[in-house]
Amino acid sequence: MVKLVFLGKFRGEGRDDLAVPPNVMTLADLKDWLAHRDPALGEALAATRTHVVLNQELVHDMALPIGDGDEVAFLPPMSGG
Amino acid sequence: MDIRIAPEPFDPQIEEAGFTAGRRDIGAVVSFTGVCRERTNGEGVGELFLDHYPGFTEKEIARIAADVAERSQCPEIKVVHRVGRLTPGEPIVLVVALSEHRANAFEAVRLLMDYLKTDAPLWKRETGPGGDRWIEPRAEDIARRAKADA
Repeated sequence: MVKLVFLGKFRGEGRDDLAVPPNVMTLADLKDWLAHRDPALGEALAATRTHVVLNQELVHDMALPIGDGDEVAFLPPMSGG
Repeated sequence: MDIRIAPEPFDPQIEEAGFTAGRRDIGAVVSFTGVCRERTNGEGVGELFLDHYPGFTEKEIARIAADVAERSQCPEIKVVHRVGRLTPGEPIVLVVALSEHRANAFEAVRLLMDYLKTDAPLWKRETGPGGDRWIEPRAEDIARRAKADA
């Protein structure tokens, strides 16, 4: 099971508990699957400055495989300080 | 290097005192405290919520601090960043840099704040009269960060 984390404005009721189906095998698949389920979220995630974090590491290659035990987080533009 | 995420209010003076206690080898202590403002662009702010990604946020702030420490030749850096719910008047962030001479500590604090604003995995949500609003980084913060890179 892949664990999902949505931060900042990507947070949404029940989003972190979504059950990712086994045919979602890469980060790109995951983005497509999320966009299909929730077009508004898909559009927000497609924005250029969305960061993807896989198992606590920032990643850029959406072809990376994901599977059981992985944690994927979606981060909007940061606004700290 | 001392990096901490604080879910509860903190006292910048106590934090700074703890960091400098017993040090006789330093000639400069530079600190910056960012405080939750009552008004943003003329609008009242009732409450601020700072979202973070446990583990990753700490790790990224430590990476930023290590990078700044090297660039400014100032390895003695402390960062305390609040998360959770804040009200106006409460400190959000404290950055302290210690060095033998002042130039390195000033440089470290300035660079750290420029990078934290745009690169630290933290997200602000303001609650005002118009409801809740997630804050995007400001153009001037992005410009300042680009300048810090140069």
